[in-house]
This record gives sequence, C-alpha cells and structure tokens, in this order.
Amino acid sequence: MCEKSAGRVSSVFRLTGYLLIIATMLTLSSCNRDNNSKGNASKNRAAMDSTLVISMLGDADYLNPVIGATVTSSNIFGLIYPSLLQSEFDTTTGLMNYMALEKKLRSVTPGQGKKAPKGAIARSWRLSDDHKSLTYILRSDAFWDDGKPIVSADFKFSYQLYGNPVIASARQQYLAELVGADKGKVDFDKAIETPNDTTLIFRFFKPVPEQLALFHTSLTPLPAHRWKNVKPDEFRHSPLNLTPLGAGPYKLKSWQQQQEISLVSSRKSNLPKPGNIPAISFKVVPDYTVRLTELQTGAVDVVENIKPEDFTALLKANRKIDIKTVGLRVYDYVGWSNIDQAEYRKNGIVKPHALFGSATVRVALTNAIDRQAIIDGYLKQYGVICNNDISPSLKWAYNNKITPHPYDPAKASALLKSEGWLPGSDGILQKNGKKFSFVLYTNAGNARRNYASVIIQQNLRAIGIDCKLDVQESNVFFENLQSGKLDAWMAGWSIGLEIDPLDSWGSDLKKSRFNFPGYRNPRIDELSELAKQKMDPVQARPYWLEYQEILHRDQPITFLYWIRETQGFNKRIEGAELNISGTFYNVDDWRLRPSANIAQ
Amino acid sequence: MLIYILKRLLIAVPLIFGVLTLTFFIIRLAPGDPAAFFIQPGISPNVAEQIRAQYGLNDPLPVQYFKWLASVLQGDFGRSFSRSQQPVFDVIAEALPITLTIALLTLIANFTFGILIGIISAVRQNTFLDRFMTVTALFFYSMPEFWFALMMIILLALKFPFFPVSGLNEIGAESYGPLGFLLDRAWHLALPVTVLSINGAAGIARYVRGSMLEVIRQDYIRTARAKGLPEHVVIFKHALRNALLPVITLMGSSLPFIFSGALFIEVIFAFPGMGRVTVEAIFARDYPLIIANTFISGSLIVLGNLFADVLYAVADPRIKL
Repeated sequence: MCEKSAGRVSSVFRLTGYLLIIATMLTLSSCNRDNNSKGNASKNRAAMDSTLVISMLGDADYLNPVIGATVTSSNIFGLIYPSLLQSEFDTTTGLMNYMALEKKLRSVTPGQGKKAPKGAIARSWRLSDDHKSLTYILRSDAFWDDGKPIVSADFKFSYQLYGNPVIASARQQYLAELVGADKGKVDFDKAIETPNDTTLIFRFFKPVPEQLALFHTSLTPLPAHRWKNVKPDEFRHSPLNLTPLGAGPYKLKSWQQQQEISLVSSRKSNLPKPGNIPAISFKVVPDYTVRLTELQTGAVDVVENIKPEDFTALLKANRKIDIKTVGLRVYDYVGWSNIDQAEYRKNGIVKPHALFGSATVRVALTNAIDRQAIIDGYLKQYGVICNNDISPSLKWAYNNKITPHPYDPAKASALLKSEGWLPGSDGILQKNGKKFSFVLYTNAGNARRNYASVIIQQNLRAIGIDCKLDVQESNVFFENLQSGKLDAWMAGWSIGLEIDPLDSWGSDLKKSRFNFPGYRNPRIDELSELAKQKMDPVQARPYWLEYQEILHRDQPITFLYWIRETQGFNKRIEGAELNISGTFYNVDDWRLRPSANIAQ
Repeated sequence: MLIYILKRLLIAVPLIFGVLTLTFFIIRLAPGDPAAFFIQPGISPNVAEQIRAQYGLNDPLPVQYFKWLASVLQGDFGRSFSRSQQPVFDVIAEALPITLTIALLTLIANFTFGILIGIISAVRQNTFLDRFMTVTALFFYSMPEFWFALMMIILLALKFPFFPVSGLNEIGAESYGPLGFLLDRAWHLALPVTVLSINGAAGIARYVRGSMLEVIRQDYIRTARAKGLPEHVVIFKHALRNALLPVITLMGSSLPFIFSGALFIEVIFAFPGMGRVTVEAIFARDYPLIIANTFISGSLIVLGNLFADVLYAVADPRIKL
C-alpha cells in the first residue's frame, strides 16, 4: 500500500512541499520579531549610519551592576546606569581622578580631563578630618528613565544589595571599610545614612584614604522603587534583569541573548546628556577570524584585542581601519614554584623548591630567556619588557631606575654553576644527581603564549635545561595552578588601577590567594601595610619603589612583557579617547561620520 | 509494530536515566569549578563560596545526586549556572529554533543533492562524469567544515561580498517588513547551509552510489528492463527504492544532529544554536545545562535509532518488527 501511495506523489507536489517547509522554517527562525514597515537597501544604510556596531566575544552575563561581573557587562551597563562620581585616569601621573559636579579630587593636568563631570549625581563631597566619614551632597535634578528622582535612599538600598551574601555580588569587597565590616557584617544602619534625599553619608570603621573612599563609595546604584520587592534569592533570575531601568546616556532597546544587545540614545538623559550616536549595537561574534573579516567589510566598527600579526594584512586590505592602543595593564609571566608545593600541601611545611627555590637560580632563568626576541617576533611595538607588576602606566609609583635583567646566557650559566648546577653527560644540568628538567604548563588557545613558550624552551635548552611544554584546557590549568600542582607555568595578569599586592605576594600563603609560586618576603608585607596607611597615595611612592627593587632582585617569577592591548576601529568613528580604564569609557561622546564622507 | 515501538521506548527510559546519572558524576568529578570565574583579584574571596552555596555544590556528592534526582523526577532540570540563571529548558528553547532551521535546511539539501549525485554516479558508472563527481565528492567530504566555512567567507563575503559574514539578520532588519526580513534571513543562511550541505551531500552520494550499484545488478532490475519499462521508471521506481535502505539509517542517525547543532558553523557564523550552548556549558562547567543537553541528545539518539528501524519496515515489507 505504501508503494502505491508513494508512487502517486507527483514531483511537482514534492517540490511545492519542499518550498513550503523552507518558508515555514525561515518563519520559525525569525519569529519574535517586530515586522512593521517596508524594507530596502537605503534603510539598511540609514541604520548603519546611525548605529555603532561593537563586536564582542560573548554575551553580557547581566545588565545589572550588582551582579554583572564580566567586562562586557560593565561596558554596557555603564552606559545605561548613572554614576555617583565621574572617574578618569590621568595618563601624565597614572593616578585616578574623581569628579563631582562642583568638586574634583585632583586638579586636572593640562591636556587631560576629557570627561566632563556633568554625568555625576554628586554635587560635591566632604571627607571628615579623621577620614572616617564621607558625606555626599547630591543634585536634585537627576531622574531615572521612568521620571522618578534619583535620591540618596537609592544608594543605600543598592549598597545593601551589594553586601547581601545571598546575592553574592562580585563587588562586595567595596564595602570592606564600612562600619561593621571588620566584625564580619556591615551595619547598614550606621554605615550609610540618608538624612534627606540629597545627603548621603558613608561611615568607615577605620581611616580611609580619600581616593579609596571615593572609589569604594561610588558603586553604581539601582532604582530602589523598582527592585524593592524582589527577594534576594530571586534577584539573579528576576525578569527585571532583562529590562534595566537606568538614567545614563543610553537605554536598552533589545537584548537577543547570545546575539545582540541594542542600545538607543536616551533623549531625556541629563547624566551627562543623550549619547551622540543614536544607536549602539553590541554584536556577539565568537570567532576571531570572523570578527576581523567583519571589521574589514564594515559590518562591525570596533574589534578588541587584535593580534599584532594581523595588523599589516588588515591595514593593507582596508584603509578605513585604524589600530588604537590602550595603556599597559596586562602582562605575561613564567611562574616558578618557589616552594616544594607537594610538601606544603601534605604537611604544611615550607621548603624551597628543588629547582626554583633559590633566587639566584630564578634570576639565572630570567637571564636565560630572550624576552626581547619574543617581543620582536610577536608583539613588536605593542610589547614592553616587564620588570615587576607595577605598570609603567602608573607613573606615580613606577620605578624607572630598575635596569631589566638582560638576555645573557653566559651569565645565566655562571649563576647556575655557582649554585652547583653542572652539565651532565647528556648536556643537561645536574645537581646531586637531580636533573634540571621540568614541564612548563600553559592554557590552551593563546597564540601569544604558545609562541613565547617555544622560544623559552629553546633558550633554556641552550644553557642545558630540559623544559617540556604542556598545554591544558583553561579550567583544568587554573585548578591545577590553584591547588599547587604545577612547578612551572606560563600565565598572565591584568592589573587593577589601585596597587594592592598582598593577594599576589603576601607571605601568609593561606590568605594570599594568588601567590601561586609560594613566594615569601616579610619586607613585602611591611611595605604594603606602610603604603596603605598613607592617606595620600603619592606619599607611598618610596615604599613602592623599594617593593619593585625587591621583586626585581628576588624574581619570584620571570616577568616577561607588558602588552599594549590593540583595538581595531573603523575610521568613521570620531572622538574616541581610549584610556587604560577602558576602551569605551567615553563612548557617549563618540560620533559617526556618514558613510558617504568616509575617506577611502 | 506498535507493541515493538512501546517496548523500545520502555527500554529507553532506564537507558537514558543511566546516561544522565553517569553524566552527573563524570562532570562533577572532572577538574574545573563552576565558580572559578569569581576567583580573581579584585573579587572578594567570599563570592566563589557564596556562589557554590547557591548552586548547592557544597553538599556531599550523594546528597547533591539525590536532590538532583528528586527535582528531575518532577521534570525540573534546574537553572543554568552560566546564563543568567535561566531555567535550562528556556536556554534550550531559545537556541533550538535556530539550530532546527539550519539543520532541516541542510538535511533537505544533503539528501536531495546526495541522492541525485549518487544515482547519476551509479547509472553512469566509470564514465568521466562518475569519476569527476566521485573525486569532487571525496574532495569536499575530506575537507574540515570550519576551514571550508572560513574559505567561503573570505571568498564570498570578503573578496566578492555577495553574502554577509555572520549573524542571522542585518542591523536594522526589523524595519524591512515581513518579506524583506525573511529574505534577509535566507540571505544570511545561504553560506552556512551551503557549507554544511556540500560536506554532507558528498558523504550521502557515496552511500547511494554504492548501494545503487549493488541494486541495479539484481535480476528484478533486468526483468523490469526486459518488460520494456522506460529507464527512468526502472531507476527511480524499482532500483532507488531498494537502494535507499542504507540511506534510511543515515536519516535516523541525522535526528540528533538536527537538535544538537553544528558547533563550528555556529561559532564561525555567530549563530546562537545548540552546538554553542552545549560547548559553552561544558567550558563554563554549567552542570544543569550539560545534563539537560545530554538528556535531549541521548533521547534523540534513542528515538533516531527507533525511527530508522521503523522506517526500514515501512520501506521494505520483508522486514517485520
């Protein structure tokens, strides 16, 4: 019977069927769309002329400042939400400046101060003489997008959310100085007071430097009237997260998860003003090659983190593209276990590592590695030799008197010889029957580190050190690193703009979460504490200079190079000021030239 | 046949349940921590612990298992760790229509072109056309999809910009009207579907050619020709139907593909489909989402096999279930 019925189906009917299926599927995949008006190519051009398209590797996690934890999220919610103060990184001094409408923390250096303080909700502030209370006076003409005024209670409400352990905000350490935090729980009744709608008082349990106080009290607020009925355990999955109510230069137009986040200029905003570009689209493009191609075709305007190896081809292919760089904030390093990790894990006893336990050996390893060759071969003018973890961009603290350890294999060999490491019959260095042989681990998917690790392997082989390479999946690599299972590894850090090295180098290995090498020098702890006690960071400069000399001498790790992050921009963007505090920090001031006027 | 189907479905329940239990333990025993993202400088050490507590990861493994079991038996697979704590089936429901569209279009193209090329190759065996098609099919069959996709992008989107590079629609496509929007969507799907179907059709063509060659040597084909039937009737009505049996197996095993998505294509063309959901869930150690995906793909493999077996019986009356 089946045979007969199958035979009856005419080919025309089949073809019509196929066409119907295809049409249905296209409709299926395009449902949930708004389809109102007629379309044509000029509409597309008009849309492109008024829309800035920024590509991103992955989607934002939350467009909510309390729980949004990725850089992408903060780039976007920073445009939607208002801020108490405006902040700006001064590239001539390397210090952060904070601005209220009528007050600045520091006077602005000529040529700096691109950001107007108009976006700040605070009119001014006053820090008490004992540095234990900070009073903000707020402006009264700031409104949420629904027309309700922004008042001091919004800030208190938001800080209670930031500090709620059930919500688990990634920014809860900003509350570390508030009254009660020293006893384990912030006492919000005493720590934050709101005597009226325009007065906001923060109280600290200890004296806090003004810069840190301003930094930690200027977290982004949420509108209390909108969120007050959401229970903490429902906060992370509240539907309100998909419809953020802000007051900043942009508003959320649509969020197609894992595809695109569209913002439109908020016409009513006075914090500081409606964004210049009518629409901004953050488009998810996971593949790097495709992001580059889209930059070339003009389908996207900004692509972050372009690899130096692609510059020449990119600029040659399309003269409408510009490469912009931001300050030095990211460095790569080779980590050496200073202590015997297995012994420490098992018995809690700190014993020097058999290979890397001596500072002389670690200096020799740094001497043996040709860091300039890695920079010349890969990063070119976008890399700078790194001596320690204080960036040259933080000029107020950077020690420019330190001469980098040179690439000097002969010196490296001599240092190793002085430590008893002598070549064996196979050419590999030996000491007391132990060969200088180890595995250098790194995480998968980083072309720059792969390139560097091969050069490091060759350099070390040249002085008789056997270095094997192993690449691990990122999660596995990080877990092994944390649990002290790696003797040598290659990784990188992105530094904060406030210097606080105790997490990385503190001698208490239980407290210092990121001291993976197990480095211990009590003077580093002392210097960090002394620096923290200074109420003006600039006065702590001598401590940081000494800190850098110690790290240079002890070489707990081999610091390789600072990386100038490079971003690809379409030249139709005007007014983009890139800053170490972020590529998009003044995006509301950017403008787009109409497509007809773009220089070819 | 109905009893056979019911029996197979009943057997599938403990099978899928076993797969889920295994997955539950394997992913938890594998290295990696769902809260690892929160272990970084500048984030309080408490956060990772609070997040683990929220996800219930601080309980001993057996307790976690029984809690999970209790909720799964009520049909609740939990909320995703990595995607804004959405219910996992909401995440899948968002990705599925996109994957379905690409996969169904691809399958139609795969089987249409694959069968057609296979038949021509078999009927014109050992001619230049057959050899040319065989070599071409093997050429595309052995080509990695991601590389082929990138080459197509460079050629047809960059050098000769006929097609868009990525995404499902242009920026501002909402204003094109329903027809314009659909055409824009079709324009965006052209490259990925072409890449996927060229690769797949080449494989199917090889199957069909082999199978057809076997069938057209059979006595009943000679009889059909001897009766004086026109050649196209012999080929399409008598030979093809019998030659399609192995292809039916392929159709059955394609069912999981329809729902699981094509990872490389989704990454390269920036489609938020099931392939990306699955792989990103694995990298983020998003346990509930991994288990929900395993549930869906496991069920589909079982159903796909059952579907293929049933199709066998439908296509060949000699097979009794």
